[in-house]
Amino acid sequence: MYNTNVRGVLVEGDKTYSEITADILRPMEQNKPPVWWFVALGVSLLAIAFGLWAGYETITVGIGSWGLNNSMAWGWDIINFVWWIGIGHAGTAFSIFLLILRQKWRTSINRAAEAMTVGAVLCAGIFPMIHMGRVWMAFFIFPYPNSRGPLWVNFNSPLFWDVIAISTYLMASAIFWYVGMIPDFASMRDKTTSKVKKVIYGTLSFGWVGSARGWLRYEALSQILGGLTAPLVISVHSIVSMDFATSVMPGWHTTIFPPYFVVGAIFSGFGMVLTLMIFIRKYFNFQAYVTESHIDAIARILVFISLIMGTAYATEIFIAWYSGSEYEFYTFFKNRITGDHMIGFYGMVFCNALIPQLFWFKKIRRNLAIVFAISLFINLGMWFERYVIIVTSLSKDFLTSSWTDYSPTVVEIGIYIGTIGIFTLFLLLFFKFIPMIAISEVKGIIKSTSGHKDV
Amino acid sequence: MFKRIESNNIVGTYDKEEIFVNAIRSIKQNHIYIKNVFTPYPIHEVFHELELTTRFPYLAFAYGLGGTVVTFLFLYWTSVINFPIAIGGKPSLSLSFIVIMFVMTICIGIILSVVTFFARQQLFPGKEPVLAHARNTNDKFSLVIEIPEHMSETERSGIIQALKESGAAEIEMKKNIESI
Repeated sequence: MYNTNVRGVLVEGDKTYSEITADILRPMEQNKPPVWWFVALGVSLLAIAFGLWAGYETITVGIGSWGLNNSMAWGWDIINFVWWIGIGHAGTAFSIFLLILRQKWRTSINRAAEAMTVGAVLCAGIFPMIHMGRVWMAFFIFPYPNSRGPLWVNFNSPLFWDVIAISTYLMASAIFWYVGMIPDFASMRDKTTSKVKKVIYGTLSFGWVGSARGWLRYEALSQILGGLTAPLVISVHSIVSMDFATSVMPGWHTTIFPPYFVVGAIFSGFGMVLTLMIFIRKYFNFQAYVTESHIDAIARILVFISLIMGTAYATEIFIAWYSGSEYEFYTFFKNRITGDHMIGFYGMVFCNALIPQLFWFKKIRRNLAIVFAISLFINLGMWFERYVIIVTSLSKDFLTSSWTDYSPTVVEIGIYIGTIGIFTLFLLLFFKFIPMIAISEVKGIIKSTSGHKDV
Repeated sequence: MFKRIESNNIVGTYDKEEIFVNAIRSIKQNHIYIKNVFTPYPIHEVFHELELTTRFPYLAFAYGLGGTVVTFLFLYWTSVINFPIAIGGKPSLSLSFIVIMFVMTICIGIILSVVTFFARQQLFPGKEPVLAHARNTNDKFSLVIEIPEHMSETERSGIIQALKESGAAEIEMKKNIESI
């Protein structure tokens, strides 16, 4: 079987198997979470309350409560939808590609990355649903036998492809995440002394015992899920890009979009993985499991992807000039590089193409405060990217009489903040009730990591 | 399919992976049948020693293939037979079906593979686990040998001796452990 060598120490401190179990399950076994957890819970619930109010306004007043108009038919809804999907992209991409490539350093990070995916895709799904206006009619988008004709959905529309791809992606990510947790739930079931936890984790672990045949099939299933989901990861954001690329809008109608979106999504997701792992490492004392080698590896990947992002931006600008299309030229040179939205454009270039170049320096990669700050810049930069793509193209299209400007209303901002609240709440529950690191997978690689002598 | 057998089993439990894998080899050399093994994580040497294989990947391929065909038939029926729409002269049977077929192949492949895994492993919420050792999901490696009723005391002692010699840290009797 194809295998790879391990670079650097993956688990520090010569841990025994029982120490690994105890360390990772400790946050779940503590009856009372730390104070900051409750503070964060309060803040996330407030954000969700704001979001619920905004959702209520949207449904009762209508989409008119947003800052959209005839030209700007899409605004923060699609910006935030694509932003969340992008973040959700990397969790599974991270986990699956590194699984298929037999990269052992994934084991300390994959669980949190997958959790992030499920949370982010859930948040993403809210935006197109709520943009429909009558959200209770959302089931109309699925092809089912009906009395309206029969009338089927348009199978040739990228918007429908989106529905299918994102539903499948959410399902696949959730299944991959859950199946990965079954052996760890069994560890919790067998270790805890609390009767309630024993029942809960006993139910969640499905009676897992870790027999040889069970492990064989489990590994086969992991590979199958990995193999099937890897092309899905690529297709999901390619399809999201086709929401734009199959239109005739200047700045959107371009063949670079699918790879550009996929790479961008992986970039933003890896940025969020980095944010999350530095946080988990510090606040749950997982320094032995999420080592500097892990952070270093993610930073190296980010600098590589950042170069691709920079090349993509440059390619778009070059083609806008070289194509000779005056509309493309106007969008890029008069409405992005200069013009009303230049702050968004330069924010995007600065955060995505320039700032991550600092990762070339080992000193920077080893300074976690700077790495954390850069990861936040990447998340911000990727939001700017979606803003630039959507707002610059829609606000000034072919007809000057249709030109308009766009700024979000408090309702749109509320929905966005609400989704951040949902995402934070999801992560807080994850920190408290689910093993943050894949216990059985870490045990499986511990022999091959340097620095380990005896278990 | 697993068989729940009421007969007794001898369970040898080990602290370290290397000793455990060597123990499986030595038990096999003594021509003693290993009923099952339990480990905290997957060990490929164990699969190799027990000659375990799975046809799961072939099944997953068949599921995916089935998903492609079923999705195409559905799209053809809805778009060409049941309700063909004239969209600017574009054909009802469109190449763009490939996108939906691609995604649904993955979707159906994943769902059926996961259902198959749970069905074959007989895993379901609320199932009462029967562990060979209480710490099999933590840090202990167990090897189970079935003791039929007709087995003589000498044979039984021989098995226990073989387990001891192979480095077992604990040896105990236990009922109702699933076979491999």
